[in-house]
Amino acid sequence: MSLLGSNPARSDADAKLRGEAVFGADLARPGMLWASISRSPVAAGRIRSIDSGPALKVDGVLDVLTAADVPDGRTGVIVNDIPFLAADYVAYEGEPVAIVVADNRAAADAGAQAVDIDIEPTEPVSTPEQALAPGVRLVHPDWNRFAVTGGADIGRDGNVVAEVVHDPGDLDEAFAVADVVVEGTYRTPRQYQAHLEPKMALATYESGRYVIEVSHQYPFRLRDRVAQMLGVAPSAVRVVGHHIGGGFGAKLDVSLEAFAALLARRYRRPVRMQHAALEERLVAPCRANALVSIRSAVSGDGTILATDVEIVSDSGAYANNGPALSAIPMFVFGSIYRVGTARIRTRNVYTNTAPTGAYRGVNGPWLVFANERHIDAVADALDRDRREFRLASLARDGDLMRNGQPLEEISILREAFDRVDELAPWQGAGTGELRGVGQAAAVWLTNPMPGHATVKLNEDGTATVITSATENGSGAVATGLRQIAAETLGLAADAVTITMPDTDATGYDAGSQGSRTTHVVGRAIADASAEVRSQVLDRASQMLEAAPEDLTIDDGVVAVAGVPAASLTLGAVAQAATWSDGPITAGASYVTPTPPHDPACATGMLIKGWPTPTYHLHQAEVSVDVVTGRVTVDRYVVCQEVGRAIHPDAIAGQIQGGVAQGLGFALSERVDLDHGRYVQRTFKAHGLPLAEDVPKVEMIVMEHVDPAGPYGAKGAAEPPIVPVAAAVANAVSDAIGVPFDTLPITPEAVLEALEAES
Amino acid sequence: MRFCRVRSVAEAVDELSRWGTEGRILAGGTDVMPQYLRGEQPPAALIDISGIDGLQGVSEVGGVTSIGTLVTLRRLATASLVAMRHPALAQAATAVGAWQTQTVATLGGNICSAAATADTLPALLVADAQLMLVSKSGRRRIGLEEFLEGPGATALRPTELLRAIEAEPLGERSAEGYVKVGRRSAMDLAVVGLALRLSVTPTGVVNNARIAVCGGTRPPHRVPSAEAAVVGTQLVDGRLDCTDAGAELASAAAPERAREAEYRRRVLPRLLSRLAERCVAGISGVGS
Amino acid sequence: MPGAAGEQSVSIRLIVNERRHQLDVGAGETLLSMLRERLSLLGPKEACCEGECGACTVLMDGAPVASCILAAGSTNGRTVLTVEGLAGTGELTALQQAFVSHAAVQCGYCTPGVLMVLTALLEDTPDPSEADVRRALAGTICRCTGYQQIVEAALDAAQLMIRAATS
Repeated sequence: MSLLGSNPARSDADAKLRGEAVFGADLARPGMLWASISRSPVAAGRIRSIDSGPALKVDGVLDVLTAADVPDGRTGVIVNDIPFLAADYVAYEGEPVAIVVADNRAAADAGAQAVDIDIEPTEPVSTPEQALAPGVRLVHPDWNRFAVTGGADIGRDGNVVAEVVHDPGDLDEAFAVADVVVEGTYRTPRQYQAHLEPKMALATYESGRYVIEVSHQYPFRLRDRVAQMLGVAPSAVRVVGHHIGGGFGAKLDVSLEAFAALLARRYRRPVRMQHAALEERLVAPCRANALVSIRSAVSGDGTILATDVEIVSDSGAYANNGPALSAIPMFVFGSIYRVGTARIRTRNVYTNTAPTGAYRGVNGPWLVFANERHIDAVADALDRDRREFRLASLARDGDLMRNGQPLEEISILREAFDRVDELAPWQGAGTGELRGVGQAAAVWLTNPMPGHATVKLNEDGTATVITSATENGSGAVATGLRQIAAETLGLAADAVTITMPDTDATGYDAGSQGSRTTHVVGRAIADASAEVRSQVLDRASQMLEAAPEDLTIDDGVVAVAGVPAASLTLGAVAQAATWSDGPITAGASYVTPTPPHDPACATGMLIKGWPTPTYHLHQAEVSVDVVTGRVTVDRYVVCQEVGRAIHPDAIAGQIQGGVAQGLGFALSERVDLDHGRYVQRTFKAHGLPLAEDVPKVEMIVMEHVDPAGPYGAKGAAEPPIVPVAAAVANAVSDAIGVPFDTLPITPEAVLEALEAES
Repeated sequence: MRFCRVRSVAEAVDELSRWGTEGRILAGGTDVMPQYLRGEQPPAALIDISGIDGLQGVSEVGGVTSIGTLVTLRRLATASLVAMRHPALAQAATAVGAWQTQTVATLGGNICSAAATADTLPALLVADAQLMLVSKSGRRRIGLEEFLEGPGATALRPTELLRAIEAEPLGERSAEGYVKVGRRSAMDLAVVGLALRLSVTPTGVVNNARIAVCGGTRPPHRVPSAEAAVVGTQLVDGRLDCTDAGAELASAAAPERAREAEYRRRVLPRLLSRLAERCVAGISGVGS
Repeated sequence: MPGAAGEQSVSIRLIVNERRHQLDVGAGETLLSMLRERLSLLGPKEACCEGECGACTVLMDGAPVASCILAAGSTNGRTVLTVEGLAGTGELTALQQAFVSHAAVQCGYCTPGVLMVLTALLEDTPDPSEADVRRALAGTICRCTGYQQIVEAALDAAQLMIRAATS
């Protein structure tokens, strides 16, 4: 019986349910020191002086390090713009200025509070609009001296971190002949990942190498970034991963690990660090706030002749991944609906705010929000039914995305419209006073970045998979990868063990991001397992005196087909192999090839293609409380294409969880900035959805086997968040008859709209 | 900081008189502990009264409900006496935080913290709650509204302990309720909280109305102008027209902070109508 | 946390997971810190430190509390149960088993707190409605699951427990 499509228990469930699972935040070592960070209290300013004296007076404090004590120079992912510690000026509230090391946590925290940082504040560049205003102060006066990784031209200019421009030429003609011109401006706030486990690190220094134990989504990135910050070779850093208490993108880059590593070397003691509650809020790499303006030229028959898209996203004080993510609009506009000739300009800009970063579905939720709100606006302008207009405008197989990549299977999305309609018919949905319905579609990628796995057959007939794929909670490692290995090897799922990440012990892995683990690492495991299987069959064929092609492997037993008596356990085969030719192991690597595309399609693009796309349609039905303005989601339907469902319950969990996060983004979550500083300072203030706020999501999971994927699987975990805010906003706009083009849709905004309507 | 565990009211007031402004009462600690953990200036002593049995009960004596200062919100939310005689208080207690909060948070703590967003306070205000205070030098009694001097500020003297709360139970042909607006289904501080207690004559004329709100920048308070606009109104077809009272509530909310006040101004009249409808439906014994 | 500057200690006696303890705790020390750092019970999790997320939830005299904001000093004479005390060294409880079969565990950081509040619910309300379960979960934020599989696990466990009790 196939394990694929079944729901075996996760390997980590028992430990997590008993409270035995050791998360990063649970780690401790005998003799360890604690360190805490003193951070800038202001959004922008010049450092006049740092007085460590008061901190050194705190009992237990050993030392205070400032910029003079740490490596100088700047580092980064794409632009080397981040100092180890701020030296002359601070660029955001919460920027590290000093590190306090102590023999216990309370002392380190008290010491960090006690460091007297004297800063002459300057007026912060608070918003992207301000950052682009003529004559505005530069967030980094020396921006032109920052190195760019690989030397790529990403269109940097003053406060502009990166610019991606796709300009196929003159749009004026289309706008001149258009019957209708529809314009919209779509504004979205930041979103806070709100993983529960704080960021932490435990560093030791042994035999000339740094060992960092951590709960991290991307140990190899961390290894490389720590090495870069410390000015050592990556091989001088070993990262060991532990259970991760949520990340959602926030644990993909370096945060405090290099500080801990530096101190571990200096003191020759283990050094432990962990963000305090407020630090988590201040320096979380939130989803970027963004402003998207779209102008469409439309003919009377409903053809969109041309579309002009102008995007500004907020990078915060440093670049991080912003320049790479600025390519993503290229894969949203024109990839779902035909939008005619499109000009797309995306600018990612510096502000004096905490750097933004990766959050599940990077850029997707706000790009799809803008795209789908705009489609509703065009349909309304033409007085067309919104679903019917979507179907009429939907791209067709063979259409090219803006990067020149063919849409090979966009017809899956057409099928999704049918499937959703069967379950929750559009006609009659969301009717009645203050009720509404909305749809949103997305085509989302599966992250292609490299992975590796070694599969070894143990001498007892079980198997171990050695990989640094990280289990972020989705179950991709704890069940999906095990099922893939077990299916290939002919084992029960619980006969496969997968190691925790360790950069010393495994091949490179690009971490848990972009739903890549099942697809990319799963493919590597399937290939390695097939090789192990082939070695097993070779050995067994000698032992059983039968041709390899006549052998079957099922539940750990190799048998000659049709001759059940002629069988061996995998353990017996493994033993025999180990003591003759040597242990049975095999390794395999995989990177998804970049899809065919036009390299000249745009300037500044660091992400060239949109590999392994999956297809999504969401439909929301809402009602609005006339008294309070609160929006209730009465019904939520997701139709999602996954390639092949390896573990359906885990996919359901990703869909339900992604929708919950999307509903938070749409309705209740708040991340506001006031003069560069976060307004929400507590967990409570962020307004995360509670159990009563989230409806049961109805799901249709479509399978369209991807030949490159392991047993056909594509990514599934990331994209369920992407269309949610768009579908909800379309439904609320429908319910009230007033466009909601700004998120979140607060009760305040709803009542204001209701009052304006009446 | 010291931790002083006391086992009786007498011990508690001794410690209070010893520490004065340097002492801080610890009951459930749901306000005190987060403040301490945030790094606010710690008191010299935490005086833990949570073990004093005499401050725990809910009882009805001489037509008045007496609630010990340590009665938890969970108890208020689940006790049948409270549900029957003080439904608004039970509803308000349910609206505070989550079960974890309600397990330990006490009514006395809610009152003494005097947060502008305290859900239980409007419910107590419409029950004309009186507070029983005790100190080494004696006892005194003070009305809740007078007690609440500002957000986070009360008439409690540093040496005084809030011992019990006395509240007037619902009478005949009366009903009350508390409704809260937060961003989410639970956990949020009240953006607006509204308590209403109504009494009507056998012929369906409102003869008593108390309306109290929380969630603004002021401490929770009654709104006499809105109450006056309801008293004397005749129920028509089992419905109460709250238009004037709603307008009074809205104008009372107007001077506050701009954006939130704007929302409160819009919500309050609508919320009052909804609550009044619910209350009127709960009143029996009215002829048409 | 233990050892915070300027804190005096206070002696408490309490029962944790059926074991008696006598401890000297700091005046401002939280129950969470006491459990994790003095008793090495790492099941209750440190997360928001403000009583909002519920990952630190334990039962005190059978009722759920946010141990991250509860003064350890005020637990004198109390009985505390943490996630480690649910199954002890034995089989998973019916609720825990239902979490396995409903895939209600993802990252697992909220799980200890969620289990404790649901354990209290099923004790208090053996046959809860879905609304009861969702209400009980108000103080435990799960960012991974969107709650559905947790709710279904709790409802399923309730039925299993009822059947076990009546058979």
